[in-house]
Amino acid sequence: MADSEMGEATLERKLAVYRNLDGNFVIQEEKYKGQQFSHIYFMRLHHMRSQLQSLIPEWKPHLPVNSILGLEEGKECIIIGTLYKHMKLKPSILDEYSKERSAIPLVKPHNFMSTDDHLILEDESGRVKLAGPMLAPSAFVTGIVIAVHGKETKEGDFFVEDFLEAGLAPQVDRPLDSREDKYVAFVSGLSVGSSAFNPLQFQLLVDHVTGHLGDENEQRISSQIVRLVIAGNSMHISHGFFSGQTVAPKDHAKLTEPIRELDIFLTQLVAALPVDIMPGCNDPANYSLPQQPLHRCLFAGASAYNTFVSCTNPHQFELDNFKFVGTSGQNIDDLYKYSDAKDKVEFMERTLRWRHLAPTAPNTLGCYPYVDKDPFLIECCPHVYFVGNQEKYETRLLQGPDKQLIRLISIPRFCETGVAVMLNLRNLECHALTFSTNL
Amino acid sequence: MSSSNITSFYRQEKKTTKRKNDGGGGAIAKLCSKLGSDLAPLLVSSTDQLRSTKESSKEAEERLREFDMDMRYGPSMGLTRIERWDRASALGLCPPADVESLLLTVPTISHCLWHGRV
Repeated sequence: MADSEMGEATLERKLAVYRNLDGNFVIQEEKYKGQQFSHIYFMRLHHMRSQLQSLIPEWKPHLPVNSILGLEEGKECIIIGTLYKHMKLKPSILDEYSKERSAIPLVKPHNFMSTDDHLILEDESGRVKLAGPMLAPSAFVTGIVIAVHGKETKEGDFFVEDFLEAGLAPQVDRPLDSREDKYVAFVSGLSVGSSAFNPLQFQLLVDHVTGHLGDENEQRISSQIVRLVIAGNSMHISHGFFSGQTVAPKDHAKLTEPIRELDIFLTQLVAALPVDIMPGCNDPANYSLPQQPLHRCLFAGASAYNTFVSCTNPHQFELDNFKFVGTSGQNIDDLYKYSDAKDKVEFMERTLRWRHLAPTAPNTLGCYPYVDKDPFLIECCPHVYFVGNQEKYETRLLQGPDKQLIRLISIPRFCETGVAVMLNLRNLECHALTFSTNL
Repeated sequence: MSSSNITSFYRQEKKTTKRKNDGGGGAIAKLCSKLGSDLAPLLVSSTDQLRSTKESSKEAEERLREFDMDMRYGPSMGLTRIERWDRASALGLCPPADVESLLLTVPTISHCLWHGRV
């Protein structure tokens, strides 16, 4: 809202039509009856197999599709199954019980890859080890469903000659170019309450987004921000409180201080524009994916506004008919631990090509044991895919073979970098907003 | 699991079902609402007392075990047989209709053969 001495009209914030699509990720009627994770893998294999089967006639129509148990030695065929990557460095709970206690490194490496890793393909009938130079284990992780073409060797392995990933899902047509600029702002890793948190830096962001900062030109840019998405790790609660001991009454204030401080900032934000807040790995939400929305009682001030939306992680929504999908970073961080890529955006691209947001769930990433669905399957390609809590700001515009166009955004941790990201809905262009309090 | 004697195997399975109150209770309630309350005492009491139904129960149980073991419809542990049939039908896998009629008409054990044993 401009308050100009020249008496010009006040600026009005632009609006965009919002549709929350988190229904798939909210735990509603699911009841835990002691089931295990085999059902998620079954649903994933069933769904992805039907998609791959529709793509095989265009890929290699002359080859038969076999089940793994039906493999015959020397016969060329295609098999479809879930990949399992055997990694000897992957920490296993059974290591504690093994008789030979080999030298377990005290310092946990951030990445568990080794040159001995090999891939195994599994379906309902059996599993087979994949051999050959076509599939480099460093680019794959457990949990992806692919089709492989090759033949069984006499050692009992399957020699891979070619492989097929599902590829980018079909995308709904992008809305026609509108003439006006509308921005969506993304920020993550605020970590209110941690020692790295700089309140002045965050206040600068809040003031800029709400339009309290700068001259008329800046305020005009701020009035074009239609939504702010906070992608996880908004607060940081001191780890001393996680020891399991009851918190002494004198420490109660310290426990809730970060949450109350965050609420004060959020109230300023929601009074000015719609805000989506997602939980992250450090937030008071459940550990396993999909993380459920942060409870309204945490935000006594902000939840009074209808512009405050508490979302799940992963989060899905539509803004002016653009489809957005994003996470707070756990899916990409887990890929980073078990595979290799040149940058985080490449991991994001891979998850889109595999049509699965978090393929390592439930193997190494905590996940709810669904019985009748796998909610992380990507049926429809989004227009914008964002991931929070990364080291640096990176972005790429991905083009698919079927005219798909996706903007990939890696949002850096704000407490470390002071960088927020702005996306222009008119042309899907992205730029960084850097806030610094260094003089 | 080492015993191949159907009778003794069946008897073990029945005892386990009686002890488990959580999932079994829910499934029995489900079956009751489908079959009508007059069949509820049948489910609770031992079917050994009703010799006429014993033979058909054995056949039904065998057919249902085949359904449990069929890998096409996914894992059988962790959900009731009816839930698994419904899931398979929703996925378009066309599970056998005779299994559905068995599950709905004849009093049967609601969980798969591994339930309570693994």
